[in-house]
Amino acid sequence: MEEKILEILGEHCEEALDYDGDSMMEDGIIDSFTVINVISDIEDEFDIEIDAKYVVAENFKNKEAIIALVQRLLEE
Amino acid sequence: MQFTSYAFIILWMAVFALYYLCPKKMQWYLLLAASVIFYSIGLKGIPLGLLLTGVTTYGCGLYLKGNLAREKEERSRCGDKESKKALKAVYQKKRKRVQALYILCNLGVLVCYKYAVIAVPVIERLTGSHVGFLEKVVMPLGISFYTLTAISYVIDAGRENCEVETNFLKVILFLSYFPAVTQGPFNRFAQMKEQFEKEHVFEYDRMLRGIQRFVWGAFKKMVIADRLGIFVDRVYGTESSVVAGSIYICATVFYMLQLYADFSGYIDMASGISETFDIVLPDNFKRPYFSKSVAEFWRRWHITLGTWFKDYVMFSFVMSGVGRKISKTCKNKWKGLGRQVTPIIGTLLVWFFTGIWHGRTVSYMLWGVYYGVIMSMSLILEPSFGVWKRKLHIEEGRIWSVVCMIRTWLIVFVADVLIRSVSLAQAGAIYASFVTRLNIRSVLSKEFTSYGLNKYEFLLLFMVLLIWLAVSLAEERGVDVRTYLAGRPAVIRWGCYYGIVLLLLFTGIYGGGYDTAVFMYQSF
Repeated sequence: MEEKILEILGEHCEEALDYDGDSMMEDGIIDSFTVINVISDIEDEFDIEIDAKYVVAENFKNKEAIIALVQRLLEE
Repeated sequence: MQFTSYAFIILWMAVFALYYLCPKKMQWYLLLAASVIFYSIGLKGIPLGLLLTGVTTYGCGLYLKGNLAREKEERSRCGDKESKKALKAVYQKKRKRVQALYILCNLGVLVCYKYAVIAVPVIERLTGSHVGFLEKVVMPLGISFYTLTAISYVIDAGRENCEVETNFLKVILFLSYFPAVTQGPFNRFAQMKEQFEKEHVFEYDRMLRGIQRFVWGAFKKMVIADRLGIFVDRVYGTESSVVAGSIYICATVFYMLQLYADFSGYIDMASGISETFDIVLPDNFKRPYFSKSVAEFWRRWHITLGTWFKDYVMFSFVMSGVGRKISKTCKNKWKGLGRQVTPIIGTLLVWFFTGIWHGRTVSYMLWGVYYGVIMSMSLILEPSFGVWKRKLHIEEGRIWSVVCMIRTWLIVFVADVLIRSVSLAQAGAIYASFVTRLNIRSVLSKEFTSYGLNKYEFLLLFMVLLIWLAVSLAEERGVDVRTYLAGRPAVIRWGCYYGIVLLLLFTGIYGGGYDTAVFMYQSF
């Protein structure tokens, strides 16, 4: 699962893979369009629905946070 | 009540002294009292509009809290995944209905106030009667700001992104917090609640930093923005057929700087005041004129408004049932470009609403559509830009960065002509003047100093703009100027402090009663 998420993220924003901070959105690494495209691909890949309430800076602060979010939604 | 008025300074000093003397648990009550006083004086009346928004916001929050609790309780009793899902859908539908009703009512009030000015003459013309009572209706102070702030709380409460407040007075404090109530920044409840409830201890350095930021903000407002405004007002107030295109170019560039100095000056003052109470407001500006694209510009300009629209309009639309349906259909039809359709519609929606939030004229609507189209185009054309850059062997570097910055300024420049002009006809005439009568010599002639600023004023302006640029460049390189100055020898440190204060006192633009001009964003 992790590999697939990283592959999707890398497809849309290579920079996000090397980013090791904790405010990817505020730091301008990923913009809202990238977030939307990443979400769309993750939803298609894992057959889940990511609600708007999960689209907050905290869940997209780095690649680890995105992986943790998907993991949480799959377990729900 | 302006931040630079004597009345406000006295209020601030009194609240500040009491704030650190009163019992720590009472501190937020004091901020509430100060906010109510500040708001009532500014409004010159009882803040009924704010109270109404406070009551509905508080009530809606409590409903959402109860609804979520009941859902969780019932879900814990459900065995299988499917029935849990069905139960969630039922409760979510109820929540969304109440939220929609709440948003409709509060936005309705905002729209009524904002558009009454346009609607009344139309009604009068249609009915032939005089709608007299509406002349006495005063637009509640900061209604555009506290309405959006309240909506963010209700949406966040429904999304479980913030804790629901059970104390009505804390909701009122959140909506009316006096440094931010008139022009923002847009605060989020989760961040503010934590700070309001914290026990704050007096710290000399923090107080000093707060005052420094306040003075810097006042400097930008009174020395830079209001001085630039004299020239801009005169040029834009002159019959457009007699002004040369080159003068309009200068006036518009001055307007771009005036708007930035005015609004960021206000934010610095608001943040400085708040800092003295140990309450940190979110950043609203990050040197936008260093941006290399329009998207970046809007990530650095009025940041909290941008994130508000992104979180509550853009993402809400894209993740909604309608958004998902459009996305699925378009993705199946046109593979590559199809996935961009929903973000593009979301972008156009965001910019249309941003336009009408800023002003009630057609110019503002066009201004919003203009940015929406540019953002959408850049999204569509981004891959082609990359290909062309490689083909033309353009390398990322300092020169390319400057080219991109100039491109951003040009786009903002075109938009600012639109919103500064008094009518669309004037805007059209100004655009035409850039081509038909540029007359560059006008800038070097005596005509240039006939618009309210003489050559000494220009010299002063040049000097203060250089100071502002130096501070901005240092900040852009990650230097915290206040910390940097604190580490310098006393002569340099106090020389800088006194220099700014003296410039403010002797070169600031004061009105009749030694009051300053109103802040530009207050009218939004």
